Amino acid sequence: MSGDDATLAVIGALEALGTPYMVVGSFSSNLYGVPRSTQDADFVLQFGPQTIFQLADLLGPPFRFDPQMSFETVTFTMRHVLELPDIPFKVELFHLGDDPYDQERFHRRCRKKMLGREVSVATAEDVIVTKLRWAVQGRRMKDREDARDVIAVQGDAIDWDYVNSWCDRHGSRAVLDEIRASIPPLL
Amino acid sequence: MEPTQELIDAIYRERVLRARRTPLDQKFLAGPQLFDRACRIMKDGIRSERPDATEVEVEAILRQRLALTRRLGNGE
Repeated sequence: MSGDDATLAVIGALEALGTPYMVVGSFSSNLYGVPRSTQDADFVLQFGPQTIFQLADLLGPPFRFDPQMSFETVTFTMRHVLELPDIPFKVELFHLGDDPYDQERFHRRCRKKMLGREVSVATAEDVIVTKLRWAVQGRRMKDREDARDVIAVQGDAIDWDYVNSWCDRHGSRAVLDEIRASIPPLL
Repeated sequence: MEPTQELIDAIYRERVLRARRTPLDQKFLAGPQLFDRACRIMKDGIRSERPDATEVEVEAILRQRLALTRRLGNGE
């Protein structure tokens, strides 16, 4: 099983279970920005008490499940990690937290028709806001680059009032403005 | 010789315009596909450095290097 097969299998299982979810992380920034290599697929889920066990049953042996949650130090959220023993690719299932912004971006998630199915994905605005939040908190250069690429590729389609408002609250507005100013004219 | 800002901007512009032309399906799955390709190239490099290594050892070295890359990317 390859990384893309694994990701599609998890999406299929979540859809079959009717579990509210959204694709986040590099898969979402690749969708709206400039694709880059990634060794994991990240999802945010509204977990029910049985969700992890139902997913384990549905996905079966290619996936190695650790029923214990772990703490993710960049985003400060709880997650389950699904590993594929044969390949160095992971699927990370983050719990939807109580943080007001996390709630808002989950509420705003959208359905995209891709690969013959509908997939729930964070919006382009929320990919930018989240990447910049992590860029400031975690000081990860790749988050800045991902945000810059999404801004450049999406161009005028971005709701800037929404992005500015959350970046102001997260203390990432200066980084946002710096990134926007660094994008060369595209025409 | 350092590249000029004009050249850097032109390359970036081309990347962005190409991304705008790429279908969503292709962009969505590009991440793991690029990763798979990178792993194959890294394994070829490891085999070249360590011609006596078994496939199990090549895989183990690959995973060590990926873990290091991940830690560096996370600023650890």
